[in-house]
Amino acid sequence: MTVAAPEANLGILPKSDGSATFKYGGYTVTASVNGPIEAARRDEHPYKAHVDVIVRPAAGAGGTRERHLESLLESSLSQIILVKDFPRCLIQIVLQVESVPANDYVNTKLVQAGINLPIIPALVQTAVLALLSACVPMATTAAAAVIAVVPAGGSTKAVVDPSQRELETAVSSHAFVFTAHGQLLLAESQGDFTMAEWEDAHATANKICCEAAKKDGMEMILDDEKQAGPDLQAFLRSTLEAKVTEDLQWR
Amino acid sequence: MPREAEPSLNEKQFVLQALKDNLRQDGRDLDAYRPLDLTFGDEYGHADVKLGKTRVLAKASAEVTVPYTDRPLDGIFTIAAELSPMTSPSFEVGRPTEIEVLLSRLLEKTVRRSGALDTESLCLVAGQKCWSVRVDVHVLSHDGNLIDAACFAVVAALRHFRKPDTSMEAGVLTVYTPAEREPVPLGWLHSPFCVTFSFFGDEGEISVLDATWLEEQVRVGSCTISLNRHGEICQIAKLGGTPVEAVALIQCTQLALTAVRSFTEYLDQKLTEDAKRRDKGGLLAELSAENDR
Repeated sequence: MTVAAPEANLGILPKSDGSATFKYGGYTVTASVNGPIEAARRDEHPYKAHVDVIVRPAAGAGGTRERHLESLLESSLSQIILVKDFPRCLIQIVLQVESVPANDYVNTKLVQAGINLPIIPALVQTAVLALLSACVPMATTAAAAVIAVVPAGGSTKAVVDPSQRELETAVSSHAFVFTAHGQLLLAESQGDFTMAEWEDAHATANKICCEAAKKDGMEMILDDEKQAGPDLQAFLRSTLEAKVTEDLQWR
Repeated sequence: MPREAEPSLNEKQFVLQALKDNLRQDGRDLDAYRPLDLTFGDEYGHADVKLGKTRVLAKASAEVTVPYTDRPLDGIFTIAAELSPMTSPSFEVGRPTEIEVLLSRLLEKTVRRSGALDTESLCLVAGQKCWSVRVDVHVLSHDGNLIDAACFAVVAALRHFRKPDTSMEAGVLTVYTPAEREPVPLGWLHSPFCVTFSFFGDEGEISVLDATWLEEQVRVGSCTISLNRHGEICQIAKLGGTPVEAVALIQCTQLALTAVRSFTEYLDQKLTEDAKRRDKGGLLAELSAENDR
């Protein structure tokens, strides 16, 4: 199955410091970033900024699943935001899920228990775009991918950007977040898998998220080197370049 | 959390003086709406409404559940309007502000209590199974007149929404997935819309339609009228503020009716456009298993 190319819009909300909408693989997420702002007394930290992530589902009230996603994102994003530059401040990131991919073969239930791995890349990607739009100083940017390990005739194979049906049949699924320098920022896995399968999934994800950064400066891409998914670092860069050109244009 | 900054004295004076001279910051007439824009999402029941810089997203969803014991023949219909810090950092999660309480209350009165959605049609098995329809209102940005935008979004989302088709055979209830049978629309009876007037001046003699956030902060009172295109009034809310002449209020209802008629027309047009977009091969009519009411 081919997935449409990612789409992003920056600075769409007039009232917040920074905002972004990111649309990819059936997921649409809008994020707003406010910060650094005054922190509530209980969140105040004497020598670093508190990163507050709020994930709001499209339908239904947020529950344990959203709290879990929030804690994952909070710890990952605190690593790349230069939190020590803003003591006693708050950087607030609100992620509003607008739509999730529909599965025509199942009727969805509102309250779903369990972890929601496939949404992590969309949330991370949107958060990073919104942070960039809000000009929050960061050590590096991040790119994320989800890999499903599906059974294929006796053995298994890693599938990038799996569809809802592939996720159902997958023996395990993995979400990876990498920094622009290729360092692993977050790895979440679900299901049964061997170390070799994990290594394979990790390598595939690394290729999508970081290959462009390594290739920087090379003039040509060989044809046999087929990309498994969209080049996320390049996408991030081109989105921001487009935004900056638009903003700097006089009249 | 930081408090929202209030407009300065100069700003307030400027807005008021301009309104006394029949002028508004954005050059609109006193009884004109900002440009309204409605977009439907890829799935059913997803409405994105932009009214100037105010942006509201409404998402309708349905699931099968057990009806309330005191109303065994009715389905469940809820509207959830929670303002997130995305609207403004002064809002906190789980701590409703006055704006939020008023918004949910008005939406409840306008859409739910006016019987816009036929809740009896949501019943599947009396006392055992029914549909629970839920609309989530997400406010993405607030630049005044949240109530009108949110109400329009809720009505648009519900009218656009399709719930899975069901059948009853020998006491067995089957809920079909979208792959098996085309989902069916909700039993919709009428479309009420909210129209909010803001009053300015010492006696509240200047009435303004569709106030921006700055104007809302300066106004001396407001009145929300909910009605449908037939001119049937569902509710009028004038919560405190400066008293307003009765004659002025009657004039307001007249203005509200014309506004609601244009809303209805716009929504109908958008719904037909969307239906045309979805009905690519002209096969949707054949796929539907819905009976005529």
